[in-house]
Amino acid sequence: MGVLQLSIPPDFPLPIPGNLTLLQFLIVLTFVLHIIFVNFTLSFATGAVILEASAMKTHSRRLDDMARICSLHASIHKSIAVVLGVAPLLIISVIYTQYFYTSTLLIGKAWLSLIILLITAFLLLYVYKFSWEKWENKKGLHFLVGFAAMLILLFVPLIFIVNVVSMLYPEKWSGANGFFHSLLHYPQIWQRYAHFILASLATGGFYMYLYFSVKQRKQTLSDVEQSLKLGGVKVAFWITLLQLVFGSLLLISFDRNIMLLFMGDDALLTALLLLSVFLTILLCALLYVVSKNDRPSMFYASLLCFVLIVGVMGWMRHEVRESYLKPYINEYPRTIEMKKENIKPVNKQ
Amino acid sequence: MNFPTVEFPWFGNGNIVAIIAIIHVLISHGVAIGATALVVSSEYYAIVTKNEKLDQLAKQLTKWILIITTTVGAMTGVGIWFSTTVIQPDSIGSLLRIFFWAWVAEWVVFVLEVVFLLIYYYTWETWKEGKAKRKHLNVGIMLAVFSWLTMSIITGILAAKLTPGRWVETLSFWNAFFNPTYLPSLGFRTFLSIMLAIALFTIFVRLFVKDEEVRMPLLRIFSIWGAISLPATVVLGIWYLQSIPDQAAKLIVWSTGLPEKTFDVLNMIAFALIIVFLFWLAIRPKKLPIFLSLAVFMSAIGFIGEFEVVRESIRKPYIIYNYMYVNGITAVKAEEMNRDGYLAHSTVAKIKKVTEKNKVEAGREIYQGQCLACHTIDGWRSKRALANRLKGWPQQSIESFIPTMHQVRPMMPPFVGTKEEVEALAAYLYKVANEEK
Repeated sequence: MGVLQLSIPPDFPLPIPGNLTLLQFLIVLTFVLHIIFVNFTLSFATGAVILEASAMKTHSRRLDDMARICSLHASIHKSIAVVLGVAPLLIISVIYTQYFYTSTLLIGKAWLSLIILLITAFLLLYVYKFSWEKWENKKGLHFLVGFAAMLILLFVPLIFIVNVVSMLYPEKWSGANGFFHSLLHYPQIWQRYAHFILASLATGGFYMYLYFSVKQRKQTLSDVEQSLKLGGVKVAFWITLLQLVFGSLLLISFDRNIMLLFMGDDALLTALLLLSVFLTILLCALLYVVSKNDRPSMFYASLLCFVLIVGVMGWMRHEVRESYLKPYINEYPRTIEMKKENIKPVNKQ
Repeated sequence: MNFPTVEFPWFGNGNIVAIIAIIHVLISHGVAIGATALVVSSEYYAIVTKNEKLDQLAKQLTKWILIITTTVGAMTGVGIWFSTTVIQPDSIGSLLRIFFWAWVAEWVVFVLEVVFLLIYYYTWETWKEGKAKRKHLNVGIMLAVFSWLTMSIITGILAAKLTPGRWVETLSFWNAFFNPTYLPSLGFRTFLSIMLAIALFTIFVRLFVKDEEVRMPLLRIFSIWGAISLPATVVLGIWYLQSIPDQAAKLIVWSTGLPEKTFDVLNMIAFALIIVFLFWLAIRPKKLPIFLSLAVFMSAIGFIGEFEVVRESIRKPYIIYNYMYVNGITAVKAEEMNRDGYLAHSTVAKIKKVTEKNKVEAGREIYQGQCLACHTIDGWRSKRALANRLKGWPQQSIESFIPTMHQVRPMMPPFVGTKEEVEALAAYLYKVANEEK
């Protein structure tokens, strides 16, 4: 293939500072941790806004209380989501420098806009949470604040997705023209977006089930808390079921040779995909049982199943990237060893 | 020029990094580190003196610390990284390779810091009495310690950019981290943080805390911390100043863009102001004038802006001292590029060889690769706008100046490339300087 004409820069002369396999393990682990909290934030912000809208429409105190609890969790988890995101960003910058830096620079201004977008969204989330009672008589304004935060939070993933998809397609870089153009220029973007947003909602629902199950051990749940717990189970069940469809849509959006790796061409990747489908169905079954008859044993079984799914998903996501980049990395290798002749100090005149 | 370039033609690429960094330092030092120390001290004092109102005020202040640090603070911290990636990818990419594990350690500490902050604020009303309150205070102390620890790690990296010390020879991580300005700059920043918090928060306390039962003890805590921190900041600051390279020290006044007299006068006034303010705070806290608090608030912001701009600028012509120039070029690269041409070694350059026909376009690409980090064509900072600086210069003069500019102006990196590339850059700069707008 004609990779020699592509704009892939040579790697830096300073070597990658650690064992590559270890760093790849860490990027999967820390990314999964980060994205779970992003899922929580997105899901609770969206959940709060939808519940508040329903509360306003039906004048329901219960729905309004449910919305308020969601908003509290959204603003707490967003702080953790941000700090946890530092590690995967650090590792991707170090081990995929040639690809990730180029894809970042290609959407440089959109990438910088993340700072303003996220500060605004986070401040709005605080206003939304802390003004819940004070603005009881200004419900419309209060709703708008939450709605604006939600819109920003729903938009932000697109910037990240464009970046991590664009890094997989060096041959498409020369035709790309900024962030908005890239949304349609690269394949997979919208499929990834749908898969991610649905995963967020399902994860948020599942969190509500876990959180209130734990709380229930110490005290009886209020009516509102009980509704959040069971509502969470329902959301998690239906959306996880939907993921079987949206996951498949994402799979078929991959380049054919990559897709086939998951469909028999590569034993490990095929096994991972089958395992993820099996686990997803199992989780749905467990959630179904919970929705009918909540038993403590289901708590650990579903938690284990959820953790495994997230782990397998994170691992597969990494393998997709590796498969796409393999031919390029062979042509433009990373700097693994320190060569002092390439790292000379400036001679002072 | 290995990566695509992003241009901010009016604002200037360097200023994007600077503005984000200044906001971040104000918040990380003044709020996350300094204000946390003040708030935890206040909670302790409230417990000892059984002052319930002071305890509630400490909680209110913590709420603001939480809001500010987890929004603007956290995002500008990540933002420095985002902006340097977009504007100086070679530099930040190299720093990540050198200091990767320091950053990993910082990340762990940072995550814990945020967790402590969340626990500290959200358990204020539940851990209220006796042992539980003691536990709450301990969380606060841990929060203060971890906020400082994040700084103590990141300072190693920041200080190494100016004084990498033995690293340039040994390439050892530890030599880079414990570099010649590490300890003085860490000590300076520690006490500066507390001074900054006092300067930033006093005006709000003065304006919004009406109850003297709360205001007096709080201002007393401020003045005790101030009495320790101001002398410490000055002494450590002098030590820091003495440890930087001579060439860098010579650029301090230049990098502020002020005439030397104005620089001296402004800094003396600000220093006098802070001394008067601290004495007033200690002796007559009840009558602390609003305008004095406000003046100190403004000067503190001004000082941090000055400190950041100076710290970034005195490194010139380097971005990693003695290793990488401000435009991302290293000694090894410079050798290759002088031999084969700058464009030939630039991955993203569309033109690889200068011809009579593509001269101006080739010059534009060289400008983007070598000049853009600091210059604009016609941005708002007129001293850095080349169309302004080169107005009236004949093309021949630009051409003969470029290869020698680093000797005339020590803050400029040497031009890298062939003779034809000098001509191309000169042709481009001549064109933009003489274009009718």
